[in-house]
Amino acid sequence: MLSRQRLFWMGRPYDLPRSDAAFLRACRDNAAYHIAHCPDYAAICDHFSFRPEDLKTMDDLARIPVLPTLFFKRHALFSMPEWRMAMKVTSSGTSGSFSRIGFDWGCILAEVPMVLRLGFAHHLVSPVPSNCVVLGYKPDRDNHTGVTRTMFGLTFFSPPLRRFYALRRENGAYVPDLDGVAKALEQCARSPFPTRIVGFPSYLWFGLKRMEELGLQVQLRPRSRIILAGGWKQHADAEVDKNVLYALARKVLGIPPDHVNELFGAVEHPIFYNACERHQFHVPIYGRILIRDPATLEPLPMGQVGLIDLISPLMTATPTLSVMTDDLGWLSPGEECSCGRKSPVLHILGRVGAAGITTCAAGASELLGQGEAF
Amino acid sequence: MLLAHGKLLPDSARPQVLSRLREEIDATLAQKRLSPDLVVDALAALGDRVRAGEFDDLLSRYLPPGVTAGELLPLLSREFWEEKLRAELGEDPFAPKEQAETVTHRLPLGVLLHIAAGNQPGLPVYSALEGLLTGNINLLKLPHGDKGLSLAALSLLCQTQPALADFLYAFDLPSSHTQELQTLAGLADGVVTWGSDAAILAARQLAGPNCKLMEWGHRLSFAYLSGEDFPEEDLAALAEHILSTGGRLCSSCQIIYLDTADRAFMETFCEGFAPILGGMARRFESTRALSSLYGHTALLERVVTGKALGEKLFRDHGCSLIACEDPQLELSPMEGNVFVKCLPREQLLPVLRARKEYLQTAALLCPPRDRALLTDLLARAGVTRITRPGHMSAAFPGEAHDGEYPLARYTKLVDIER
Repeated sequence: MLSRQRLFWMGRPYDLPRSDAAFLRACRDNAAYHIAHCPDYAAICDHFSFRPEDLKTMDDLARIPVLPTLFFKRHALFSMPEWRMAMKVTSSGTSGSFSRIGFDWGCILAEVPMVLRLGFAHHLVSPVPSNCVVLGYKPDRDNHTGVTRTMFGLTFFSPPLRRFYALRRENGAYVPDLDGVAKALEQCARSPFPTRIVGFPSYLWFGLKRMEELGLQVQLRPRSRIILAGGWKQHADAEVDKNVLYALARKVLGIPPDHVNELFGAVEHPIFYNACERHQFHVPIYGRILIRDPATLEPLPMGQVGLIDLISPLMTATPTLSVMTDDLGWLSPGEECSCGRKSPVLHILGRVGAAGITTCAAGASELLGQGEAF
Repeated sequence: MLLAHGKLLPDSARPQVLSRLREEIDATLAQKRLSPDLVVDALAALGDRVRAGEFDDLLSRYLPPGVTAGELLPLLSREFWEEKLRAELGEDPFAPKEQAETVTHRLPLGVLLHIAAGNQPGLPVYSALEGLLTGNINLLKLPHGDKGLSLAALSLLCQTQPALADFLYAFDLPSSHTQELQTLAGLADGVVTWGSDAAILAARQLAGPNCKLMEWGHRLSFAYLSGEDFPEEDLAALAEHILSTGGRLCSSCQIIYLDTADRAFMETFCEGFAPILGGMARRFESTRALSSLYGHTALLERVVTGKALGEKLFRDHGCSLIACEDPQLELSPMEGNVFVKCLPREQLLPVLRARKEYLQTAALLCPPRDRALLTDLLARAGVTRITRPGHMSAAFPGEAHDGEYPLARYTKLVDIER
């Protein structure tokens, strides 16, 4: 699968036209690999009459059968035996069910240059050691969620001096420790080194509100950063406007908005999306995004709202070449953003349907992943 | 949080409350009796306060998105509960009945443990109210995910009528605390369970061999269409039902059965009905993306399991009709995606009997001359509600719950020789 490595080791991470040929080639190879190694994926491609050689132009990407993340939650699909995988990761499963996704070694090898290149481009990489406050889960033998691993990985962009976790496992359940976070941040402010806060935006908001309540205000060192990943998830009802959140971060922690990095990704599509200085998610060369019509699933032109189809030839352990999340979103031309990057910008509007769908039809709760015993 | 003696207490008080529960229950059973009038009066008074907007803040905090206080109001009306008592237990239900040599008294079963799944807001409270109306002491295991609506409602009820306090206990108890759940089950004369097969099986593990089980499990419903052609207004009503309930209710239509063995007729029906469903879907724009997502996911599942072979898909505006080869009763992909299957009346009974434990509502659309015969056939097969196409999920006064009157099950008859 050299075509994949060729794509992921390319330079100029936001120059899409330059990478189109390499991307198409890698997608063709990826589709052929999954068809040959995953009978279920082969059956799906057969049903939709798709063959890898059909991928001739970038428009043909829409012909790749798109697999919803909901499908991965109901069916684990693998294209290689477990012993050949580097790891198996699960989505965070906030709705009660989760996807199981395999990561192959070639995928990890391809992710290294992607993460480093984008890490440098977005000023995440720094040689100065820092204190880390993780507003997420403490890694644990029983926790296989992608977001936990991602957050742990994000603490390595600068040499970590120590890590404080906001969510710690007590008696088998995760409990948030907001007062502990406030105390840790106070200590960080007294340290001669900068601080890096990595975590869920919801916990940053709760933490900042708690500090405001306690009347705490600190001035973290100038090179301190906030790195946000993972979305609002089960705290969607508390979601606040970015500007309000960043203003509070400046007030309580002394971190200016241009030192806040926002990330986006999914276990089924682990591409390292970074928001630019204008807080916009430009699509990097390692992935392409299609917006599909909610009624027909046909691709929509730029600017129209629909279901988000994420395409990347990154993974060979699980056929995640083209996956559809349950989010609605739209694309806008990169040129409209003043940061200078030309690749299209993804805008995420949120989940389709109301959270916590309720049901009493037989078998439906299991199907929707609400298989709680009672 | 938990509720005991009409007061909200922290979870840390649970061991203490549980340790004294048997003694308290025995004392209540020995000394107190709850009349249905007292319960109905309290509910009506609470309903008046809700209607006046007194609890708007509280309700907006606890009710899930999309559910309004107005939807709960019928459950807080005097008429609803009085009608329910009359329909299920007859006029003057607790009056002694003279027999030849004995007098029969209808009495509460005693103590009910309610295990309500969290799939419908207010369900734990509704279950407890049925128990209160029949004079029982009610122990509630609140569902995971109950954000406080049940506790708030029950404590308000106790404030309105303090006599109810000794008859209501609610515990925010995780399912994993089997020891404490077993303690509660050990005190109960009956366990009332609402939920999926897994929930019901779990509750059966808790109850002792002589504990009465009252199970309100999840069900499947369908439409049965017989004849050559069908009135458009009936099909439109069926389409509206399919989209408005999203296939999520026990009474939601999962399958449209056609009284024919002719696949060509089934495909012609689909060609005609898909645009009606799609047209109706335009009035339910907010669930369009969800319809497509569920429909597409279900299609992929059928492809990998080989079921998609031989079926035909009719799509319109995010909805789909899946014309299948097999006649089995099963859950649809939901959200505007339904199965269409051939089921000639000669095969109706054996096919439905194969899933008898799940049968609930059948919407019947047929020529008047066949109505009595098909109604009888559906009932014999095990269906417990037979409605018009648009009324599958409608609530009818005096109707039974999955073939039974709950209030009768929550009481017992005591015969006393004169």
